[in-house]
Amino acid sequence: MKRRLFVASSLSAVGLTGCGVGNALTQNQIVHNILSSVDVLNHGLIGTRGMAKEYTDADVDRNFRLNGFDTPSSARYIGYVKDKFAAYRLVVDGMVDNKQAFTVAQLRAMPLLTQITRHDCVEGWSAIGKWRGVRVADVLAIAKPQQGARYVVFHCMDVDDQGTPYYESLDLHQAAHPQTILALDLNDAPLDADHGAPVRMKIPTQLGYKSAKWVDHIEVVSTFQHVFSGKGGYWEDAGYNWYAGI
Amino acid sequence: MEKSGLEGKVVYRHSVVARLSHWLWALALLVLVMSGLQIFNAAPYLDASDKNNPTKRVFAIAGGMPPGETRAVGMVYILGHTFNTTGVLGYTDDGQGGRSVRAFPGWLTLPSYQDLAGGRVWHLFFGWVLILALVAYGIQLIVRKGWRDLVMRPEDFRNLLPMQLYYLRLRKDPPPHGTYNPLQKLTYNIVLFVMMPLIVITGLALSPGMDAIANPLTSILGGRQFARLWHFLLMALFIGYFATHIVLVFATGAWNNIKSMVTGYYHLGKHDGVGP
Repeated sequence: MKRRLFVASSLSAVGLTGCGVGNALTQNQIVHNILSSVDVLNHGLIGTRGMAKEYTDADVDRNFRLNGFDTPSSARYIGYVKDKFAAYRLVVDGMVDNKQAFTVAQLRAMPLLTQITRHDCVEGWSAIGKWRGVRVADVLAIAKPQQGARYVVFHCMDVDDQGTPYYESLDLHQAAHPQTILALDLNDAPLDADHGAPVRMKIPTQLGYKSAKWVDHIEVVSTFQHVFSGKGGYWEDAGYNWYAGI
Repeated sequence: MEKSGLEGKVVYRHSVVARLSHWLWALALLVLVMSGLQIFNAAPYLDASDKNNPTKRVFAIAGGMPPGETRAVGMVYILGHTFNTTGVLGYTDDGQGGRSVRAFPGWLTLPSYQDLAGGRVWHLFFGWVLILALVAYGIQLIVRKGWRDLVMRPEDFRNLLPMQLYYLRLRKDPPPHGTYNPLQKLTYNIVLFVMMPLIVITGLALSPGMDAIANPLTSILGGRQFARLWHFLLMALFIGYFATHIVLVFATGAWNNIKSMVTGYYHLGKHDGVGP
């Protein structure tokens, strides 16, 4: 009995030590940087090539799954919702020649692209939605990124429990992909508040966390090191990969 | 093949690349399984479909407080059958000394507490370790002509059953063989050249970037969620292989086997051969 107890407690001690080592290594910044270094390989080899599969109306999830932060509850956002986003502007600035402030009506007057694509969450689940919106490429063509511009940062109106805003970033190549859109409609209706109204990102070639909701400011930059914690996105700042194609 | 004349001889069996890749695979398997279970925990269900479809659900682990109850329970669902797994799966070790609603327990995941981002960085890094070790091993197989010892010959297929009978102690002596017996050859070929590529391919099929490049890949596997199911089943096969491997390492002379995988030198036993 004693012997069995001894064996059992030694085994659990080894197990606990193993867990402790694994946890300590996970939290170690140097180890994290080494492990994350394969991001460069994955980005280089997979990148943003080809086209995400397009589905049919029959495949669409009518109640598209909600995930992520709560719908913004700021006075500004509630005001936007109240007047049907008449006061909302999508600001495009940073390293561009022509700074912009689009109204929703102006965005809707641009060529609209419809895509029925699968939304792949980093958590592992997938849902299919019918998205309609403006190509990011078309918006950037109007704003004209300057020489040296490399990334597009999408600032959002939603915040976490601490008040830190959501944001995301793409490089210009990913932003120029024909399926990378600023969605205005989901499943044949204007986006509702919970799904990111009035404008959200939809990039089917990357995981769902890149498809930021409630976007109101697009900033063209040469580097995103100065933006929040500098990793290129809210979840990237929390340890997720910047390259979200895998 | 000769069998009696070689007994007691010491042969150089495993090249340095083979030994290194062997131990890298062992480490990679451990890390990939544990970080994979961490990733699984973020969406603890498997559907035989492209997008999620609960009517095609094959496997799920769930936990929670049933209405009117005072204690949380954990349940496992497999193909229409539900099992109470409270304390082990579904409602279990949260990796921080307590219990919580969680599919796989903390002692099986990397890190032990719920951390999808942490699990992913381990998983994506050691996926590369697995692949690069396989490439290095493949190159040394060609360069050192070691593939000749691994390739299945007609007599190997004939000798599979006699070899299995020997392992089951229903036959006194194993059929004559070279460096590896027919069951070893078959197993190593399946693990190295079928299961390893397949587990990488099914993992890549989960990637939206890869899906956009190699669209038929995910479709052939039945869709993204189905690929997740294949990936999980392959993990189960790897664990089954690992368990069998460990049992046989100990059953056939643990010290000699482990020593040879460290130093490269192997003491030939009564039935051991050399060559194809």
